[in-house]
Amino acid sequence: MMASNRRAILSLYRNLIRESKKWNLYNYRMYALRKIQHEFKQNKTIQDIEKINECYAKGRENLEIIKRQATIGNLYSTRPLIIETVENKADSN
Amino acid sequence: MASLAGVRILIRNTGKFRNPISRTCLRSAVTQLQSNERYFHCKRQSIVTLIPQENIQSLRTYSTNPDTKKIEERVLNVGTRVKQVRQYSIAEPMSLDLIRKRVLLVLNLYDKIDPQKLSLDSHFINDLGLDSLDHIEVIMAIEDEFGFEIPDMDAEKLLRPTDIVRYVADRQDVYE
Repeated sequence: MMASNRRAILSLYRNLIRESKKWNLYNYRMYALRKIQHEFKQNKTIQDIEKINECYAKGRENLEIIKRQATIGNLYSTRPLIIETVENKADSN
Repeated sequence: MASLAGVRILIRNTGKFRNPISRTCLRSAVTQLQSNERYFHCKRQSIVTLIPQENIQSLRTYSTNPDTKKIEERVLNVGTRVKQVRQYSIAEPMSLDLIRKRVLLVLNLYDKIDPQKLSLDSHFINDLGLDSLDHIEVIMAIEDEFGFEIPDMDAEKLLRPTDIVRYVADRQDVYE
């Protein structure tokens, strides 16, 4: 099956990170990035092919969710949070 | 490639010539226009064609000098969000040396790479101890720094900083 392909998994990782970065909302974006990195690191030693396929399917599903939610979230964007702007302010002072 | 560079130099040189010529032409055209109105029609045409050339000449300035502090700031902020700003001017001049410096700076700022071990020829996975997931993050950081996407097929082969430098240079048409 395709999911056992190393290249497919790496490209899934890439796409997940890339799509998450498009999120305007700070909390969602940072959570997604942290979660993706953590899950992949945690599961990188799995050998069982069935389990790998399961994780891969889960990743694919979540990629779709992230894509959709990022687009929807960006339609109703709010002001950037204080934590996002405070670094820039500190720099200018 | 050499011929391409030659053509480029030629264009640059002729550009220098073009400026004074066009200026003198313009001046003479204007004075003639004042003196005899009979040729008004054709003179006006010549003015219209000449003016844009002058504008192009004056636009040929580079908006910013690449400066390490700015790059550093940009790279450190990548974790949160990348903002690609399109400057409506000619791109910064690139040289192999500059690309090398920018690549090394990005790699130095990546937290899983030990700056002491890093050199242009060190292998990401064998020498620096990164895994394939880290490698992908490194490639994405490079993408964000230089502002273009690297396809998966090419990303797999970029296993040393020198490979990245060569790839970026090819992409930006930098050969010297």
